[in-house]
Amino acid sequence: MAVIFHKEPQLNKPDLIAAWPGIGNIGVVAVDTIRGQVGAEEFGEIDSWDFFYPKKVTIKGSVLESLDFPGNKFYFKRQGQRDLIFFIGEEQPSDGGRLYAEGRKAYDMANMVLDVAEKYGCQRVFTSGAAVAPIHHADSPRVWAAVSGRKLGEQIGKYPDTVIMGGTAGSGVTGMITGLNGLLLGVAKKRGLESICLMGEIPDYLSGAPFPYPRSSRSVLEVLADMLGIEVDYSLLDNMAVQINSFIGKIYDELPDELRERIEQRKLTARPRGEAITEEDARWIREHIDEFFRKGRADDRPS
Amino acid sequence: MTDRLRFHWQPPLKHSSLVVGWTDDAGKLGGGVVDYLNRKLGGRMFCEIEPVQFFPLGGVTVDDDGVQFPETRFSACSQADLATFKSNPPAAEWTKFASLVVSVAERHCDVRELHTISGMVALSAHTAPRQLVATYNTAEFKAELQAYDLVGNVDYETPPGQRPTLNTVLLWAAKRRNIPGLGLWVPVPFYLAGLDDPLGRKRVVEFYNQRFGLEMDLSDLDEQVKSQFVRLAEARRNSPQIEESISKLESNQSLGEDESLRLINDIESVLKSQPV
Repeated sequence: MAVIFHKEPQLNKPDLIAAWPGIGNIGVVAVDTIRGQVGAEEFGEIDSWDFFYPKKVTIKGSVLESLDFPGNKFYFKRQGQRDLIFFIGEEQPSDGGRLYAEGRKAYDMANMVLDVAEKYGCQRVFTSGAAVAPIHHADSPRVWAAVSGRKLGEQIGKYPDTVIMGGTAGSGVTGMITGLNGLLLGVAKKRGLESICLMGEIPDYLSGAPFPYPRSSRSVLEVLADMLGIEVDYSLLDNMAVQINSFIGKIYDELPDELRERIEQRKLTARPRGEAITEEDARWIREHIDEFFRKGRADDRPS
Repeated sequence: MTDRLRFHWQPPLKHSSLVVGWTDDAGKLGGGVVDYLNRKLGGRMFCEIEPVQFFPLGGVTVDDDGVQFPETRFSACSQADLATFKSNPPAAEWTKFASLVVSVAERHCDVRELHTISGMVALSAHTAPRQLVATYNTAEFKAELQAYDLVGNVDYETPPGQRPTLNTVLLWAAKRRNIPGLGLWVPVPFYLAGLDDPLGRKRVVEFYNQRFGLEMDLSDLDEQVKSQFVRLAEARRNSPQIEESISKLESNQSLGEDESLRLINDIESVLKSQPV
């Protein structure tokens, strides 16, 4: 297991911002947007060989030209006072073929990412993902935050429409952050690094949908960009959101009346303070909505 | 890494080559070639890969041949400076498994080249000549093997939704360690894919005879091919349906799904009644 460095940049107290694909790709879309806009430069990658199955081989004239694996790349951007390191993974490593990171490989990858961050003097780590919530897709998604300390909680609490998880500095909301977004937070804490996970809300009934949820990525990005002191152009994300919303609208219209009415009622009730979805809701999703997406929306996916 | 390997003895191999064949291959090709090499060249098992992590170990399969357990055996044919590896394809952790195979090849066999064998299910008749379709892990190795009768003009990209084969991963693992690698793909008539293809096996073994200077007497393989051909010819004479289907394949016509399935079943019952 190795990190391959293509460059050795000189960085000043960089923040690490890491993301992997997950529910609605909320985190990875947000982080990749900011990475692209600041023009961050690739400087290294984790060798995927020990973590993933290859996804594609290219043979030309009978010679193996390439064997492509999901990428795990590091990027940097010098900012002056506080530089940035981005880590973007194309897939979460997992033992036993699970969808989200779990087990030895996930733990190894979390440590490798933080090894690189610490090598450059990083003291603060951001991750980002999804908060599955019983909201309506017409609602503006809020941002839930899990933080390593009270000070960070207070800092994030100043932003409107945020929910700070945890009992001491937070709202009392507890829950589980699955996958590498959660694991990285834990490993960072173990190493004494400040860490923050920003999770954009996604309606529970869209959590199994095979397309991104850019409205929520935007909410995350607003907080993240401000904390990092970066100006972001949201137009691309907003355009994407318009397309996806129109697609969601079409799906929504096709839902059975009973289901749609039940979801519509959410518009009439006060938004919950951030409780995790109930077991009853989870069962409801399994029984109705996931089945709906599995049945045949694939041909209709937005490009 | 060593706890994943179980060594029985250290083979005295120098500048050897490693030939890899998988069980469950179409026409029993890869595993069959490795068995043949071991039998003819006095191969002795020297190492096994421990199955934990690579195979589901929740129980064992019992089939016509009795209790089955994952096989992961390296053998040494010391006189010929040839090593073989016959294994069930791992169910998980392909890259790790491939790295282990290449490690044994490099550290314990001093290999100069690595070869993989795959049967490739083909819509062809058993009477069609067997080509050896090659993939190389370096252009230099391709150039080195130019004199051999190998088909070497393959262009391919993994189609969406599929993934590269285990042999591709193994050839790439060898490339990562600068070990030249050759993958041989042999078309196996689809109605022999679940049975045995001695003609395909012979074609591969002939290549190894040439490449490694093995001078093996292949008359026993000739006998197996002849015996299978005689029985298939008899089946054609006795069954107009079999004759019609195979004749179509011989004249490059395709078969419908039902006809293909019927041919597979008919040939299976003919050849399984008295194994070659």
